[in-house]
Amino acid sequence: MMMKRTAWIAAVAMLALAAGCANQKGPATQAVADAEAALAAFRDDAARLLPDDLSKVEASLASVKDSLAKADYKAVVAASPGLSNSIAALRDATASKKAEWEAANAAARERWGAYAADLPKMVEAIQSRVDILGKSKRLPRNVSQQAFDDAKAGLDWMKSSWAEATDAFNAGNAVEATDKAQAVKDKGNEVLGLLGLAPSS
Amino acid sequence: MPTEDKPEVADATKAAAENPYTQHHVVQKGDTLSKIAREYYGDAMLYPKIFEANRDILTDPNKIKPGQRLRIP
Repeated sequence: MMMKRTAWIAAVAMLALAAGCANQKGPATQAVADAEAALAAFRDDAARLLPDDLSKVEASLASVKDSLAKADYKAVVAASPGLSNSIAALRDATASKKAEWEAANAAARERWGAYAADLPKMVEAIQSRVDILGKSKRLPRNVSQQAFDDAKAGLDWMKSSWAEATDAFNAGNAVEATDKAQAVKDKGNEVLGLLGLAPSS
Repeated sequence: MPTEDKPEVADATKAAAENPYTQHHVVQKGDTLSKIAREYYGDAMLYPKIFEANRDILTDPNKIKPGQRLRIP
């Protein structure tokens, strides 16, 4: 009699547990779907601006999805608030970072005009002198063979780097473009010095 | 052909005039284009490069005047 009662209690307990798990399946599945949708809304920006932070949140999401796959709905439901907060924090940080990036990019776009007007002329002047010295039977006294060779290499670097800067600007990356353009200008001033030409101020 | 060269020379001169990185030389007494070419290029025979870059102020490579500001391309 006692054995029957114990078995009955155990069976009821199992049914209650199963019912409880089943009750949590819906919320757990919904929580994971919500988390994935929330992250997808800004994942591209986060990947570009805060890749390390995104990796941490994606690891948390992967862990929760793993629990869901193992039908550990209780763990999913327990972890969901924390995951939701992490996603919200990353969303806010990404938005802030994006605003900073857009402001810097707008400022760089304004600076780009000066580089675009100036650097092709710098390259042109250096190219002209390199071409003429290349036809000379001997170099002028203030230009050594090593300096001339360095100037030619520097000019090649300037041309390829200027092309990269232009590509970056055309792709919408004005900050990267102006950083490269400034490097081209610095190299140009160095090359002007190697060729005995006065660097620009 | 001379008639075809003129526009190119004019364009080259204009471009050089607008380029802030182009070097200049102020003609001194006793200067010749050959002497200037030797100073800047190391080779006197390259004087036509200077002459062509200054066609707007020079008509004869043998006639330059003290005080003239020449472009040295």
